[in-house]
Amino acid sequence: MTILRSSRPFSFLLAVLLASAGLMTSAVISPRSASAQNVEESQVGRFQLAESFLRAAQYERAIGMLEHLYAESPGTHVFYERLREAYESVKRYDAAIALVDDKISSETSPTAYLTEKARLLYLKGDEAGARVQWERAIATNPTSPSVYLLVYRSLLQLRLFDYAIEVLEDGRSVIDNDTLFQTDLAYLYNLTNQPDKAVGKFLELLALNQNQLNYVKSQLGTFLNSEDAIEKSIAVAQEGVANEPLNRSFRELLGWLLVEGDDYREALEVYRGIDRLDREEGRVLFGFGLIAADGGAYDVALESFDEVLSRYPESASAPEAMRGLAMMQEKWAETLGEQVFDIAGTRQERNHWDEALETYQRFLIEYPQHPQFPDVLRRIGSLQQDVFFDLTAAETVLKEVVARYPQTDAANQAAYDLGRLAVTQNRLEDARIQFSRLLTRLRTGDLADLARYELAQLHFYKGDFDAADSFTRAMQENTSTDVANDAIDMKVLLIESKGPDSLNTPLRRFARIQLLTRQRDYQVALNQLDDLMNEFGQHALADDMLMEKAQLQARTGDTESAIMTYLQLPLLHPASFYGAQSLVEAASLQARFGSPDEAVATYQRVLTEYPGSLLIPTVREAIRALRGDELGS
Amino acid sequence: MRKLTSFATGARLVALLALTMLLSVRSATAQDILIPMDESQSDHLKAYGLTFWALERQVDVDWLLNYRGGSFLMVREADIEAELRVRGVHYEVISGSRTASIISEVESDAANTSVVRLEKPPKIAVYAPDQTLPWDDAVLLALTYAEVPYDMIYDDDVLGGALDEYDWLHLHHEDFTGQFGKFFNYRTTAWYIEQQREAEMTARRHGYRKVSDLKRAVVQRIREYVGGGGFLFAMCSGTDTFDLALASHQTDIVPAEYDGDPVDPDALTRLDYGHTFAFQDFRPVFNAREYEHSDIDSGPPPQPLRNPAVDYFTLFEFSAKYDQVPTMLTQNHVATVKGFIGQTTNFRKHLVKPNVVILAEAPGRNEVRYLHGTFGEGTFTFYGGHDPEDYQHFVGDEPTDLSLHKHSPGYRLILNNILFPAAKKKKQKT
Repeated sequence: MTILRSSRPFSFLLAVLLASAGLMTSAVISPRSASAQNVEESQVGRFQLAESFLRAAQYERAIGMLEHLYAESPGTHVFYERLREAYESVKRYDAAIALVDDKISSETSPTAYLTEKARLLYLKGDEAGARVQWERAIATNPTSPSVYLLVYRSLLQLRLFDYAIEVLEDGRSVIDNDTLFQTDLAYLYNLTNQPDKAVGKFLELLALNQNQLNYVKSQLGTFLNSEDAIEKSIAVAQEGVANEPLNRSFRELLGWLLVEGDDYREALEVYRGIDRLDREEGRVLFGFGLIAADGGAYDVALESFDEVLSRYPESASAPEAMRGLAMMQEKWAETLGEQVFDIAGTRQERNHWDEALETYQRFLIEYPQHPQFPDVLRRIGSLQQDVFFDLTAAETVLKEVVARYPQTDAANQAAYDLGRLAVTQNRLEDARIQFSRLLTRLRTGDLADLARYELAQLHFYKGDFDAADSFTRAMQENTSTDVANDAIDMKVLLIESKGPDSLNTPLRRFARIQLLTRQRDYQVALNQLDDLMNEFGQHALADDMLMEKAQLQARTGDTESAIMTYLQLPLLHPASFYGAQSLVEAASLQARFGSPDEAVATYQRVLTEYPGSLLIPTVREAIRALRGDELGS
Repeated sequence: MRKLTSFATGARLVALLALTMLLSVRSATAQDILIPMDESQSDHLKAYGLTFWALERQVDVDWLLNYRGGSFLMVREADIEAELRVRGVHYEVISGSRTASIISEVESDAANTSVVRLEKPPKIAVYAPDQTLPWDDAVLLALTYAEVPYDMIYDDDVLGGALDEYDWLHLHHEDFTGQFGKFFNYRTTAWYIEQQREAEMTARRHGYRKVSDLKRAVVQRIREYVGGGGFLFAMCSGTDTFDLALASHQTDIVPAEYDGDPVDPDALTRLDYGHTFAFQDFRPVFNAREYEHSDIDSGPPPQPLRNPAVDYFTLFEFSAKYDQVPTMLTQNHVATVKGFIGQTTNFRKHLVKPNVVILAEAPGRNEVRYLHGTFGEGTFTFYGGHDPEDYQHFVGDEPTDLSLHKHSPGYRLILNNILFPAAKKKKQKT
């Protein structure tokens, strides 16, 4: 469609000018007679001047010129357009409406002008009159989708969303075509907080083109900001799946909505269906299992992984599912705080740690050639060592990893674990060799820092305090590592606890007790600690010894004695670094073992006796939690 | 309307507050708790909350203006001491004779100090939508951290008459012009769409075609509330847009991008400055894409000063005995406060009405940061900037953790405002 038609060259110039002024776009929208658009040269100049007036906000002067221009050349659309805009700018809606009426009377197809008039009437405040004009516009060609879109855009400009929905829905009904205006309607339903209906329209869209799923998710995601919205959307998606069970995009949308609503159980059913229908052989189920595990829905993830393994044992997803399952069981056991042995060393009932270990072992049997085999083997070794305390089994497995898969991450981790295992078995020289070799090999990184700290500890256990100090000094340089704090703790202990002579006897014996504690020889450690306290009760280590004793008593299940020891520490050593901490530990045990009032009283002691402690914020929080305070409004 | 206090003019205020002197004499035998608010205080912000807590338990508190940073004095009770410790507020136990000595020192004509008796905690309303918006609200943060109870109210409540139940109303990053904060660049984000939709629905519910009409009705209602004796505290864009909305009650200053129709071409001549609280002769910004509502706001400091290290404002010192209200509002342990930027940061001084008291200003720039005035039986306080401890708070930024800013002088100014309505009316000293 041409904007201007003229035999004169300056008409072309005007066209370029008007187009560059951004008028071409708006002109295209409205139909008009192309034959009546001859423009005189003087009109170009006057139009440019009127434009300048408009830009300078001198609307009345611009309007005067534009009225003349329009009177001279009513067929030139830009004159009409600018004049109408100018009227609107000064809120002269009656004049603008009269102008549009003039166009309506001269046009054979006035649909666009009718919507213009309706918009102007609405802005003027005549809502009923506006509605009549929109209806007239539709009546000009009620079977044309473009007519409904014209009215819809006019309504959208005025943010009359409900009416726009009505118009588009009517249009679909009149034209008898349910595939029309899907995205427009979905957008409107979202804007009007009707997510269920929006989902309905998106389902219609997906029914036509399943590849639009990501677009639909992105559109819906913006508006799924409440539980109610998610619930309503799910209900509609479920209905869609029931009606068209073979449409994968419907199911994927439903599954995604269920996960958004944290309903992993229902989501599993949906993803299970997708996996079966599309013969994905567990790929979809495995992916969902990972999502569920990340979301903490362990039972659902378990079911998902199990199903992959039972239904598709030969598929590519099966090994990953098995490893993912075992790792998830470890995480599950940690979350629940499960133990394999109680404080007295009695084997507990089978729990998620057992499941994890067995799953890893199954992996080794069923997938011996899998690339994750060394990692799984190493994980078994770690579990045997740290959870099941089966040191012999752990050593065998970890050695196998180191020997069969050298130069791998699994081998390095296994070497570190072997070093720790040697410490537990009191083979300190073997441990030193393991950690030293690992440190030489790695030099930097988290594992290297851990090995360095272990070496410092080994020197400490052996009473070689200067060497231990050298290691801690190196480590505290890099404060970003997790072990830096432990290194600083050790350094403080070394500085404060040497003496009373050059043999450092109390510290040597205390270090030995700490080694016994690490080796879980708690009773022997307690006995040696009592001896040490009797001999060196006035040494600088006295408060460390009391703290250690209380911790050992708590570990051996003697809670009452532990509380007493913790409470004793600040009485005997009021200036001790551990004063506040021992009271906090005592209060924590009191709270855990059913004496909340006593716990609050103990916490209050921290506030009064150690007001400068770093633990004060924790103490305040604990008191408030025990009091049941509600903060905020 | 229940009002704990109502101040009329400045002179009347001071006259009423002077009464407190007679009531401030404490028994010389009991022990008292002094909560110092100088550098020795461990948590200035919680100290306000503790004072509020004490008032809730019918414990009278003396606010020692300009004494050790505006300290609080109350009777010693075991519960109060325990709570002070739990909240981490530093305090000193002083003897009755020491209390008498302090009171005498504070009331002495030689010192610019005075005592104000706080009696009853004000009931606080925060004007904010239920919808979570992606920026923090300094007053909500301060009240929550200090553990001062408050209710959230919004347009429906205000128009429904809920203001009558409150003594103190706070407005923060609000746009009373109906331009949705002029967040034009965010118009496709979920929170903006939701905010706009909610506002439009509320407008229609109350019979208004445009959100600007709704907001004008709301500010008119708040104006009546203040006129009737309410206390209004506003920050950031809650300040200038409030006056803009009041001034534009006869015209349309909202561009078509926000309300569908253009600005009234005669808007500038139809602005009614007689209707506003604090500002006059200002011009709205009609550009929809410019993140600014009017020329009241002088904007962020010029580039060399737009630096948290050098940007600051200074608090004026008032006569504690004769100008007790501004003195209360400016209690602090420092005289200069570090600057912070908001959609509205500083007010142009020449646009501030002459009867408004300037409490703080950016030095050498003719810009006001903090002001106070009376309207009818009530008062208003406007404080520029968004978050006193986040120099430039952007949309989507995490809320400030006030446990890391326990001594914040900027936040203290907010909390001065919540205690000020608790002050007992006192006769002027002269």
